[in-house]
Amino acid sequence: MSSEVKIQAEPRTEFGKGAARRIRRDDKVPAVLYGHGTDPVHITLPGHDTMLALKTANALLSIDIDGESRLALPKQVQRDPIKGFIEHVDLILVRRGEKVFVDVAVHVVGEPEPGALVVTESNTVSLQAEATNIPSSVEVSIEGLEIGSQVLAKDLVLPEGSLLHVDEETLVVNITAAPTAEELEAELEEAEAEAGIEREEHVEVTEEGVPVETAEEAAPAEGEGEESSSDDARS
Amino acid sequence: MLIPRRVKHRKQHHPKRRGMAKGGTSLAFGDYGIQAVEASYVTNRQIESARIAMTRHIKRGGKVWINIYPDRPLTKKPAETRMGSGKGSPEWWVANVKPGRVMFELSGVTDEVAREALRRAMHKLPMKCRFVTREAGEG
Repeated sequence: MSSEVKIQAEPRTEFGKGAARRIRRDDKVPAVLYGHGTDPVHITLPGHDTMLALKTANALLSIDIDGESRLALPKQVQRDPIKGFIEHVDLILVRRGEKVFVDVAVHVVGEPEPGALVVTESNTVSLQAEATNIPSSVEVSIEGLEIGSQVLAKDLVLPEGSLLHVDEETLVVNITAAPTAEELEAELEEAEAEAGIEREEHVEVTEEGVPVETAEEAAPAEGEGEESSSDDARS
Repeated sequence: MLIPRRVKHRKQHHPKRRGMAKGGTSLAFGDYGIQAVEASYVTNRQIESARIAMTRHIKRGGKVWINIYPDRPLTKKPAETRMGSGKGSPEWWVANVKPGRVMFELSGVTDEVAREALRRAMHKLPMKCRFVTREAGEG
């Protein structure tokens, strides 16, 4: 369940990439606040506080602009794909008690029957929930489920106060049969042959760098050495 | 191996190497993935080799997704040929990968197995890559 995170924001008067880059250089984040039919408000958020607040999905933010506090939810967060810092945030205004549509993460718990492969087809589900009471995740138990069984959106146990906002027949978790070792080996060998890839066999070596099997063959077995030496003497 | 069934132009210009990935920068299907940190052309052989390496390690436990496709042909002129007389013949099929792109995804295995499987796959790829997870909110 989300709790409010207070963030002090400043109104933004400069726009465009030059101004946005100046803001980012000062460890701040350009953002925009809109919703409820109001005009968009361009603001600047403190970088570190925003980063910490947005670590939680669907965090409810209390944005303080010139002494006036407004509740908002992150609508879109733009991040640098390599460095991961926040480039821009879209915030949508909400009211206390208002119902909002949010995407909530699906967490799979438990173990299905042996030999099953669990594939989470939907990593998030869209829910309708109160803005001040957004669930952090939806748990799906797959304990003991058989191969071929499916968990649909209608089977989810939703947190209190939340309603499903996707098609009830949406597939969430699919339990399929894992390929057998022989099937997998055959498929990989075919793929290797097609691609002309030579498989590197793992060979154990002794301290001298000689493969273990070769070293064992080369070493004389007990009694063998003596016989051979006596043969030599005879000859 | 991955090869387009039909292309509009058999011989194309070299794909551009500048810029960052425009999309596909986060995990879409699996829980673990390999993200490119540098730009590179990835050939269909390298993609197949990486897939085989990770599938061999995870054995029958997990599911693998490949998010890139080698749809750009690169040409080569035969050895000891004088310049001119037209463009060479198509030699490789490559995916033009930009920094930030999540190329492979994996799910259905433990964190430890996923790390090792993807580490083995990364050795088959021509650029610097990194391991990303859904749990850490990366990728």
